[in-house]
Amino acid sequence: MLSKEQIYEIIDCVVSECQPYEAKALVLSNGVGLSRFANSEIHQNVFENKTEIIINILDKNKSIESATTDYSKDGLKQLVAEMKENLIFLPNADEPPPLATGEVEITADSFSDELERLYTVENRCKLIKDCIDTLSDDYMAYGALTYSEEQIAVGNSTGLRRFARYNSVDFSALVSSNSGGTGYAQMLSNTPANMDVPAAFMKAKDKAEMNQNPIDIKPGVYTVILEPMAVGALLSDMAFMGFTGKSVLNQASFLTGKLGEKVFDERITIIDDVTNKNTIPLPFDFEGETRQVVSIIEKGVAKGLVYDGTSAAEAGVKTTGHSVNMPEYGGVPMNMVMGNGEKTLDQIISETESGLLVTKFHYMNGLNPRQAQLTALTRDGLFKIENGKIVAAVNNMRFTESMLNAFNQVVDVSKERQSTGFYFGSCYVPGMKINNFHFTGKTK
Amino acid sequence: MLKTMAMLKEKGVEYADVRINDIVTESISTENMKTQMMYTGRTKGYGIRVFLDGSMGFAASQDFDDMDAIANEALRIAKASKIAQIAPVKLAKKDTVVDNYLTHVEIDPFTVSKKDKLDLLFAAEKAMREAVPELFKTVGNMDFRKEEKWFMDSDGSDIRQVLYESGSGIEAIAVGNGDIQQRTFPNSFRGNFATAGYEFVKNMGLVENAPRVAREAAALISADECPSGFYDLVIDGDQMTLQIHESIGHPIELDRVLGYEAGYAGTSFLNPEMTGFQYGSEHINIVADATVPKGLGTFGYDDEGVKAQRVPIITKGIFQNFISSRDTASILDQASNGTSRADSWGRIPIVRMTNINLLPGTFELDELIAGVEDGLYLSANKSWSIDDKRLNFQFGCEIAYEIKNGKLTGKIYKNPIYSGITPKFWNACDGVASEKYWKMFGTPNCGKGEPGQTAHVGHGSSPSRFRKIKVGVTDVK
Repeated sequence: MLSKEQIYEIIDCVVSECQPYEAKALVLSNGVGLSRFANSEIHQNVFENKTEIIINILDKNKSIESATTDYSKDGLKQLVAEMKENLIFLPNADEPPPLATGEVEITADSFSDELERLYTVENRCKLIKDCIDTLSDDYMAYGALTYSEEQIAVGNSTGLRRFARYNSVDFSALVSSNSGGTGYAQMLSNTPANMDVPAAFMKAKDKAEMNQNPIDIKPGVYTVILEPMAVGALLSDMAFMGFTGKSVLNQASFLTGKLGEKVFDERITIIDDVTNKNTIPLPFDFEGETRQVVSIIEKGVAKGLVYDGTSAAEAGVKTTGHSVNMPEYGGVPMNMVMGNGEKTLDQIISETESGLLVTKFHYMNGLNPRQAQLTALTRDGLFKIENGKIVAAVNNMRFTESMLNAFNQVVDVSKERQSTGFYFGSCYVPGMKINNFHFTGKTK
Repeated sequence: MLKTMAMLKEKGVEYADVRINDIVTESISTENMKTQMMYTGRTKGYGIRVFLDGSMGFAASQDFDDMDAIANEALRIAKASKIAQIAPVKLAKKDTVVDNYLTHVEIDPFTVSKKDKLDLLFAAEKAMREAVPELFKTVGNMDFRKEEKWFMDSDGSDIRQVLYESGSGIEAIAVGNGDIQQRTFPNSFRGNFATAGYEFVKNMGLVENAPRVAREAAALISADECPSGFYDLVIDGDQMTLQIHESIGHPIELDRVLGYEAGYAGTSFLNPEMTGFQYGSEHINIVADATVPKGLGTFGYDDEGVKAQRVPIITKGIFQNFISSRDTASILDQASNGTSRADSWGRIPIVRMTNINLLPGTFELDELIAGVEDGLYLSANKSWSIDDKRLNFQFGCEIAYEIKNGKLTGKIYKNPIYSGITPKFWNACDGVASEKYWKMFGTPNCGKGEPGQTAHVGHGSSPSRFRKIKVGVTDVK
């Protein structure tokens, strides 16, 4: 991995070469070691070390972007020269958003030496082996244990410099019985004390043991208890579909025209909170802007949206520091935290007369963004609840539901919360009990 | 590379390969007659895969001065793999090859000026806006890619390939009545893509199709919601692409069948004993063809150095073959059929679709429609979801054209959704249109694997007819 000083040298070189234009350089540097297992043995074990430089050159009414993995001085000089040449021939468009300013330098180093020591490739393989050894011959294990080191830096021609370094571990396990019942668990953290790989594996094993002799039920309307992984999946898709300023500007969001209105049950509060230690510790965005804490839903009322520079300029507001360098999304909430309730999931289950317990969802996709309509299938543990007890495993079902309906049918929100990963970050979410949830199909 | 390979041999590897990728990309987007994105990218690096004492390790870097150290890291990883391994990994035999492969292009897309490319997109946008001035948004996209690959292995193979890709598409977006609707051409999700040069984009008909796309987007705003129930469907080639991809392409991947993806993307309803299974009706003939000209999954050799092939997958409805890599094929005592690919230098090759094509039938399109009393003609994918065994699927399309008494009535519906169970659906096919209607579509966004990889694959098909398919969800109470 490159040092902070080496990365700043790269940024200095880019900014200098781009003169007399304004410019921004984003450096993404990571090392990822991933040990993957299937059929109770390691089958893929890989390491990748990659550094990418993304350069934006800005003129009055146009901009151009290039990315390269060649960060040699000669390579950068040649690339910038080509970019300048192309910029001249570009037609005018909208004025690019101004470069980030403010505090000259922000650095954030939450790298854990202990995490690095604990999750070497040899230790990852031993941990996996120890987990697999707990299984009887009737079960097989599948999953991955990943150790990642990330360095993210931004600099621009105003002199602004940003640098963050962190490492993290992500463990996912699926345990499958010979008869086909599966259980799944996921655990991710950047704090050694919060990682307990054997405990997560045990959770998947327990679920697989419960998930036997599934019964078929008919599609229809059911009360569901969604475990945190299932809630995290819903929130991830809702974030892209509706929590971004760009989606509202595009009139594609279910929050279009509804800011300030009550859209969900009053027990729903969703904040994008970079200060929450259960999420990704990146205090600035890919434009170098300080990441703001944004209250998206407060007691059911639509309060705020997240923006990058371009979407903020279009909306006539200040950026909230949520750029992921993908203007087509216009900023993404990377640190979604959902408020919790007072009852444990076990309590909520025990108070449920009739319902379905959902471990996680598979292959979620939007159908009608203005209605927040989503579809997905249950996976790795769907259970029938009767009179407060889990009485049977159920074959997987497909739901098709508007979240505007579902999040207004909330019965309970759980006390316990869990970090779950999604495309650009992680969220920290509770479980939920929801009435009148539409299952529209079934499978095995 | 030669020095590193020699070092690995000295250290006793059973097999090793080194793959260098140098990938140049260009993406251009316009929106409402302005340039929205002008992007170029270049990534160059190498990945080293070693097999030591029956265990595999892979390491990758962009630092070419560090190749020996990365090779040693791959060895270290292979040794660590042994800790949690039951049986040694075996690789199916392959030929030792020294060869070159180059995509045939008439016009190298990287020699065409950015201005010419923008001019074409602006002309298409203008044609959409002239047809329907009140459109909320018009969009144009173009993407180009040149990948130089150098593969070398410890058996003596030395293969150099240069692969070109070109693609483009337009989109009209209308809003009104609290609704948003889109129409795209030639396909959704940035358009259509091929292993071809700029001539593919020039001949696409972007400007010619722009007015129709614009009018249909506007009309969808005031169109009725698609009804729910069971209908006969004629599915256009653009949506057949997605249907083939999700419900045939993925289930036939041998790594999924063997459980290698169970922890993430899922498995397959197929198992190794299911050769001969009635996958579809007699009209269904599917091949995995990495040799078809212009297919987005067309190449000379896969990333294990196995030559591109045309493999029968389903013949007259009967399942024949999986698509495989060297490590998965060896488990079935077969040779790899050359579908192991990585999306970049930093990722390990895994089983990926090539061009999974539905071969043309004999029907005229009018004949297919004439055989429908009460049905829908569906076009362009908008949403997709399928279970982890690839059985229960539900897909949304941009538009449904009503068919009554064997004719298109001119009425359109918005938000059509249809669903089914894979083998039941393919057995409900009673007609595939002829070669006259057959077209390849490129899918440049097929996600799979951990760490995630995005493959570029292709699907050829003609419009096809399916009987009594479930449409919509509003009837489920």
